[in-house]
Amino acid sequence: MQYFSLTARLIAGAFFALLLGACATPQTQALLKDKGTLPTQSELAHTPFYPQEAHQCGPASLATAMSASGVRVDPAELTPQVYIPGREGSLQVEMLATTRHRGMVAYQLAPKLNDVLAEVVGGMPVVVLQNLGLNFAPMWHYAVAVGYDLKREEIILRSGKEKRQILPLKTFEYTWSRSDYWAMLALPPGKFPKTVQEDKYVAAVADLEHTGKLKEAQKSYSAALTRWPHNLTAQIGLGNTAYTMKDLKGAEAAFRRASKDHPDSAAAFNNLAQTLYDQKRYHEARVAAQKAVSLGGPLSAASKETLQQIEKKLGKT
Amino acid sequence: MKSAFFRQVSRVLVVSMLGLSLPMSPAQAKMVSTDEVAAPAPARTPEQQREHIRAMLARQDVQAGLVKQGVDPAAVKSRVDSLTDDEVSQVSGKLDQVPAGGEILEILLTIFIVLLITDILGFTKVFHFTRSIR
Repeated sequence: MQYFSLTARLIAGAFFALLLGACATPQTQALLKDKGTLPTQSELAHTPFYPQEAHQCGPASLATAMSASGVRVDPAELTPQVYIPGREGSLQVEMLATTRHRGMVAYQLAPKLNDVLAEVVGGMPVVVLQNLGLNFAPMWHYAVAVGYDLKREEIILRSGKEKRQILPLKTFEYTWSRSDYWAMLALPPGKFPKTVQEDKYVAAVADLEHTGKLKEAQKSYSAALTRWPHNLTAQIGLGNTAYTMKDLKGAEAAFRRASKDHPDSAAAFNNLAQTLYDQKRYHEARVAAQKAVSLGGPLSAASKETLQQIEKKLGKT
Repeated sequence: MKSAFFRQVSRVLVVSMLGLSLPMSPAQAKMVSTDEVAAPAPARTPEQQREHIRAMLARQDVQAGLVKQGVDPAAVKSRVDSLTDDEVSQVSGKLDQVPAGGEILEILLTIFIVLLITDILGFTKVFHFTRSIR
């Protein structure tokens, strides 16, 4: 008896909540009203499909996105890196980290439906996190957006065991909004998202460098610099990856370019000084280090240390 | 007296831990890392040092949490090392709450009915056999 009254109350409550938010698919509405530059329909029909086993939608979705970018991976290989048995699922941060682990740039999209569809048009399948249930009974699920049709108001996903799941755009927006519109790309080095934002892209490459994928990070920095020739982070990153791989000449060239482009960057002069020091060119190193120290700022402690180290060497010789 | 002693000991411990597990960065401490240029931190102050220690402790917390959740202890270190400080802080202390995509369905009859109806209305997509009305 009590159980049923609780049931009734819950159902009533749920519907009340839903009614309040009944027209809460603003992005779909906006898109259907004005699709901007998007074509009416698009589909990446050749995107591979890995049917999900048990709770492995994380590995399956990642494998789908990676394989589409030319890095053939079996979901089973990704499971030990991205799956958490106790949670029977995969965390968003580990989806990003695992992508980097495979030498790819993990790029998180802006929370816009328009951007997801635009990436599909640009040839990139998009990994999305959905809550297929409701906020109080969540059912978190990763899928890969591979197509859409605005006329039919549909999105096409590789999802679970369904190779071509067709969802009404509205339903997709409901389920996707519950993850705060989380979406990511797995990009091979040198390839840019269609909706790329300069700072976000370069920061994603810095994360790739942080993961230790130096060659891939370096290639991505170079590509970023052809697109945005004056980006300081990419210039420093190019130098740092070269330095870590013991290519001192390459590092020197990158830091010189950075210091010329950004004469107010203490980081550029400090790292140039250290690179010259490693080549035993202490006098030149001192000039660069002095410049770094004179620029002050948050890095001044590091610059002072570099200068002291050089002075010590010069004092000895 | 005693607490002063322990504070000293803990300081020594913290410093030695710092030395043990510095994150991957250019070979020498004198290089400024790309991360620091991408997201400049405020001046190197005691506050920032504390931040660094906090990040390290968060890393250990996540590592222990993952093992508790059944991740292979042999793989856990490299998994956590792959995360950036920012990513670690996003999940530290919340490993059992943050979304874990995997499609787990353990629901009561009540919620089953609600979800069935919401599926049909197109607000959710829990069941394979539902087709939403438009």
